[in-house]
Amino acid sequence: MNIAGYKIQLEKKASFSGLEAAVLSILAVVVALFLVGFIFLQAGVDPAKGYAEIFSYAFINSFGVPLTLNRAIFLLLCTFAFILPMRAGLWNIGMAGQLYAGALAAFGVAYAFGARTNPDVPAGIVLPLMILAAIAGGGLMGLIPGLLKGKFNTNEIVVTMMLNFILFWVTAHMIKEGGPFMGSGGEGEGFKLPAPLQPGLFVGMPFTIWFALGLTALLQFVFSKTRIGYEIRAFGASPAAARYAGVDPFKISVLVFAVGGAIAGLAGYHYFGTVPGLFKIPKNYGDFGDLAFYGIICGLIAQGNPLAAIPLAVLFGGLTSGGRFVQGKLQLGFGIDYAMLGVLMIILVAFQFFFRYRFVLKKEKEA
Amino acid sequence: MWEFWVRSLNASTIFTVAALGEIIGQRAGIMNVGVEGAMLFGATIGFIVAKTTGSYLLGFLAGIAVGALIGLLHAFFSVTLGGDQVVNGMGIWILGFGLTAYIGYPFTGPLGLPRLPAIAGLSPFFLVSLALAAGIWFFLFKTHPGLKLRSVGENPSVAEVSGVNVVRTRYASVMFSGALMGFAGSIYALDYNPVWNYNFLMGWGFIALALVFFSMWNPFLLLGGSILFGALWQISLNPESLLPNIFSRYIWRTFPFVITVVVLILMSTKWFSSRWGAARPEALGLPYEK
Amino acid sequence: MGVTMTDEIKHGDIILEARGITKRYPGLVANDHIDFEIRAGEIHAILGENGAGKTTLMSILFGLVRPDEGEIYVHGKRVNFRSPLDAIKLGIGMVHQTRKLVAAHTVLENILLGHPNTSLILDFKKAEEEVARLCDRYEYKLNLHDKVWHLSEGEKQMVEILKALYRGARILILDEPTSSLAPPETKKLLETIQIMTKDELAIVPFITHKLPVVLSVSQRVTVLRRGKVVARLNTREATEQLLAREMVGREVMFNLERVEVERGKAVLEVQNLSVYDEKGMKAVSDVSFSVHEGEIFGIAGVSGNGQQPLAEALAGLRKAAEGRVLLDGNEITRLASMERWKKGIGYIPSEQRAVGSIGDFSLVENILMSYYYDDDYCKRGIIDAKKIRARAEELIAEYGVATPSVNVLAKNLSGGNLQKLILARVLSRHPRLIIANLPTQGLDVGATEFVQNKLLEAKKAGAAILLISEDLDEVLALSDRIAPMYEGRFMGILPGGEAEREIVGALMAGIQQKADEQ
Repeated sequence: MNIAGYKIQLEKKASFSGLEAAVLSILAVVVALFLVGFIFLQAGVDPAKGYAEIFSYAFINSFGVPLTLNRAIFLLLCTFAFILPMRAGLWNIGMAGQLYAGALAAFGVAYAFGARTNPDVPAGIVLPLMILAAIAGGGLMGLIPGLLKGKFNTNEIVVTMMLNFILFWVTAHMIKEGGPFMGSGGEGEGFKLPAPLQPGLFVGMPFTIWFALGLTALLQFVFSKTRIGYEIRAFGASPAAARYAGVDPFKISVLVFAVGGAIAGLAGYHYFGTVPGLFKIPKNYGDFGDLAFYGIICGLIAQGNPLAAIPLAVLFGGLTSGGRFVQGKLQLGFGIDYAMLGVLMIILVAFQFFFRYRFVLKKEKEA
Repeated sequence: MWEFWVRSLNASTIFTVAALGEIIGQRAGIMNVGVEGAMLFGATIGFIVAKTTGSYLLGFLAGIAVGALIGLLHAFFSVTLGGDQVVNGMGIWILGFGLTAYIGYPFTGPLGLPRLPAIAGLSPFFLVSLALAAGIWFFLFKTHPGLKLRSVGENPSVAEVSGVNVVRTRYASVMFSGALMGFAGSIYALDYNPVWNYNFLMGWGFIALALVFFSMWNPFLLLGGSILFGALWQISLNPESLLPNIFSRYIWRTFPFVITVVVLILMSTKWFSSRWGAARPEALGLPYEK
Repeated sequence: MGVTMTDEIKHGDIILEARGITKRYPGLVANDHIDFEIRAGEIHAILGENGAGKTTLMSILFGLVRPDEGEIYVHGKRVNFRSPLDAIKLGIGMVHQTRKLVAAHTVLENILLGHPNTSLILDFKKAEEEVARLCDRYEYKLNLHDKVWHLSEGEKQMVEILKALYRGARILILDEPTSSLAPPETKKLLETIQIMTKDELAIVPFITHKLPVVLSVSQRVTVLRRGKVVARLNTREATEQLLAREMVGREVMFNLERVEVERGKAVLEVQNLSVYDEKGMKAVSDVSFSVHEGEIFGIAGVSGNGQQPLAEALAGLRKAAEGRVLLDGNEITRLASMERWKKGIGYIPSEQRAVGSIGDFSLVENILMSYYYDDDYCKRGIIDAKKIRARAEELIAEYGVATPSVNVLAKNLSGGNLQKLILARVLSRHPRLIIANLPTQGLDVGATEFVQNKLLEAKKAGAAILLISEDLDEVLALSDRIAPMYEGRFMGILPGGEAEREIVGALMAGIQQKADEQ
């Protein structure tokens, strides 16, 4: 294209700075939100009003803010479960299955101590055991694709997706009619944790926020400063070169998937075990599994950077909780939050291009 | 028993058509892991159009057209922009999953049209899927455009210097591939189970994707795999008909997914890959730059 | 189609003429007003070093790249190629250096692919008869239904030539036609192209090395240097020395200085080693040898004869099926690669970009590939960023890697600079054993010299060096002992100084009777 003696050209980027990446990421989110505005328009709602409602509910309203924070913690954990394999060039889309596994394991501990019927359980022992079980449950679920990838090079996308469905139905089996975890109401829900097993809030937030923040710092440190972080990144950037440098591919894929799965398991415990008003595996647990896919989007926009995931998790936590709210208030159709998920993802895919290329303005040369 | 097999073959039809679409794309070197997304679009749009116009034909045409559009989108991302095909496919899937949940919600419920005619319970689309498999096999291995398509998937730079337009071939393949996925989705929503429900596919597209690896990129092997999985799917839905009172019905529902994982593991073993591994299109998943 | 033109062409007619071909890339003029013409029935070699503009010129003639300036005339008519298809239609055929064939398809499918006159539904029978006729004419023996990946390099080249001829090519452009051929295959090729000139085809080989080949068959030579034509000669008037001087622009020394070092004790001992490749075929069978301190042990052979699996097995990147490998007397057959690096093996892989470096990592992080497991640079699992950066800067200065900073990504380095970086990374660990797999492949004269001198320096310092090379001159000049390798076996082990080129050449082509084995 030529404009007044200048030529616009595409150029492959040799490198890009952190600032450039941040600007592009923000731009992608803005463009996606702009497009979602058309969905509001089509539904007869002024987009500005729609967003104002969403943001004021998510970040100001006294009911909305805790919900946003709970979701942000959940999303952050799901994002880490995705990021860790992502930095090693592997795809974990099994956060849903891993978080169901974590939740089932945690509730399994409570069940084993008789918490389903007997409210007098030793919380000092049971609570820590529940957390450990959630980590172990999710970790075991992550171990499956990790082992299969490391041992047989099995496609991890299909395996993790299949495990999502498998665990979805296993959860149904556990909580629905006749299942061992069935709640007393008989409404297809899990049993409710008794009061001693309901951890109190810390400054209005579930204590799991410390896990999320601690993991942020830990992952940041591991990726940038440690030997194992270097091995993971090298394997992600070039598996052949990493193998040549002495990195053990089996070790890497097992490690990133097991730890990723464990983090997702923790996310499952967080939502079903520490959030006020829940303390059970609800009937609509599938929604939380779907919410976990936002972890993919966060991870991709953050370019695998754990610190950058925090604001994104808060933003998407707010958008999803606010989205559900305006749906009712403005009589929008069901699933505006799902539509937002879809549009964000596809815009993000389109923006990949700008991470690799840049437009440059060049003065036309004399022929 | 006949009824069980009829239901199985009807289910296999959907796997076959969707996976044939994926085979065409992968043979041209473009992997689309978002089969489920394209199918959801085809199913939802096909369902809405058929329900509002009362015409099955328009419903199917709309489903096929929207599938082709999704294919076009995937081709644009993967061929023109040259992005990571896995990321693009995940984008297609999540877009389909999210947007169709929103678009289709007001239409939740049964289609409300008279059922399409069947031959002793067997859907006419089963015969269509057989014809498609045979036709695609003939196209791929016996025609010049088919040879070009396979070459583009094996080694695009070779195809280019042989005078094949790589970009055009890939666009056409991926659009056709998307159209078939959309068709598969509309068969599901208009014929197999004409009731719209949020995220009703529950993994059919991902199983179709796994079937492609299983098929060694050959339409006839795929047909066998689809029928096997169609039967598995039926067992999981109605276990009482074959094996009553073993597991709860929920555990039976995990069955097709567990088998998929087991099949994937078998296919990944050295034994299997040393015999069949060469069938994988060599340039699969790699963007082509001149 | 070109075939119909045959009758009108007479020997010596100008088929193709290029005038003032110019192509500029940012910061360089790849082709600078190049003129030449190609006549029917002649072999017209185009000579030039890497970077002289040969590739660009070839791509322009075949329609892959469009020139900025200049005109091309075919049969006196001005033409404008938009794609290879245009060039093919006008009777230009190209045989690429890296084979442009679909490995998974049959010979016949490859020949038919993209043919402008092929019917929609492929008529394999008719095509087979036609191609078989061409095979008879040029004495090619090929099974047209074989998959291409089963074929040898020479056979693949035959398929490419057949493909071009079947499309009616009157001009055959051959890119480095002899580079991956064993000597008998080269002989066969030269015979064939001479038959072709009798049919009034024009053959245009583009050549960097192998000057004797040029001299033996061509009638005319055009020499390129830095994008310009610097000489047009009749081959009768040319000598090897003259051509080399025109190519390089200065006198060229044909002999490397040998370094004589006292041979020490054995560092690497390999006993009856067998290795399988990824297709499950035996790629290395029953190989035994040793490499000593201060010795360069050369493995000569055409690529694909098991050198790569052998190197990978020694580096621990591929399993040894049978046999033993000892380093300094200790068995290492089953050790992981990392353990081998720690014990003093250094491996320079042939794939610089895919294996030897990580393109998206900075130069510092690339150097770190050989340091991250060292506790001096990585205490208790935490990387000492300052120390490794200092080390990287030091090495980059020492090895003369041209780069603005150590933060540059490795993918932005040129081939020569990247190889220097890899060399710096590997050699700075002072390995006892260096495995150098095609270390000078694709490098220009300067970088080649640098790499060879570094290997000689390491030899002087007492390292044992295993040199794998396709370049017979290089192996002969550097090695103390030479093992020609053919189809996974050593064809003998010869003393380097006395080894005769002809004997090594014959052995690496699998011809045994000439050799007196040791």
